[in-house]
Amino acid sequence: MPRHQPAALPIAYVVLRVLIVLNWIYGALLLTILGLSLANEQWTFMALGVPVSDQTRPLVMGMRAIAALGLLTVPLNLAMLKRLVAMVHTVRAGDPFVADNANRLQAIAWVLLALQLISLIIWAIGKAVSTPAHPLHLNAGFSPAGWLAVVLTFVLARVFAEGTLMREDLEGTV
Amino acid sequence: MGIAVKLDELLHERRMTLTELAERIDITLANLSILKTGKARAIRFSTLEAICAVLNCQPGDLLEFQPNKDSAERPRAA
Repeated sequence: MPRHQPAALPIAYVVLRVLIVLNWIYGALLLTILGLSLANEQWTFMALGVPVSDQTRPLVMGMRAIAALGLLTVPLNLAMLKRLVAMVHTVRAGDPFVADNANRLQAIAWVLLALQLISLIIWAIGKAVSTPAHPLHLNAGFSPAGWLAVVLTFVLARVFAEGTLMREDLEGTV
Repeated sequence: MGIAVKLDELLHERRMTLTELAERIDITLANLSILKTGKARAIRFSTLEAICAVLNCQPGDLLEFQPNKDSAERPRAA
C-alpha cells in the first residue's frame, strides 16, 4: 500500500495523458501537411509562404524531409509517454522498484537519444536549405539540456536496476 | 544454495516447534519458514543472535557450508 500520495503523481498522470493526445494531434497535422504537399504542392507551399520554383525546390524538399522526420518523432514520443504512464501506475501502486521500470527507463533513454539525433538532423537540413529570401526558423539543433536528459535517464535506469536488486535482497532477508 | 540451514534439526533436538520459536524471537512464522526451507537470501545478525539465544546454540550449529552445492544465480535486471 502506498504510504504517501503526493499531488504531483495524479497531476503527472493527467499531463502525460494530455501529452499523448497532443502527440496524436501533432502527428495528424504533420501527416496532413505532408499529404497536402504531395497532393497539391503549389497550393500548400504557397500557403506556407514558399512559392514553388526551381530556386525554392531545395527548400521545398527540405521542408518535406523535416515534416517526415517530425512524423518519425510521433511513435517515439508515444513510446516514451506510454512507458512514463506505466511507471506512474507502479509508483501509485507503491511498487516502483521493479525490473520493468528499469527496462522502461532504459527504453526512454534510447528514445530521448533518438529524438536528440533527429533534432540535429532537422537543424542540419534547415541550415542547408534556408535562404535569405526564405529563412527557416527551426526550434531544433544541439540542446545541452536535452543531452543532459539523455545521460540522466541512462543513469536513472541503472539506479532503478540496482534498486530493484537491492529490494529483492531485502525481501529475501530474514 | 551453498549454505544449508539446519534449523529443522536444532528444533527437533530442542523439542521446539517453528511456531514457538517464531513467537519467542518475534519473527513472523512465514519469514522463519523461508529461513528453514533455505529460501532466504540473507539473514540479519539480529535474527541469528535471537535464534542462537533461544536455541542455546552457535551460528555454526545453525548454518553449514556445503561446497558441492552451487550458489543460486539470481537474474540481473537490465
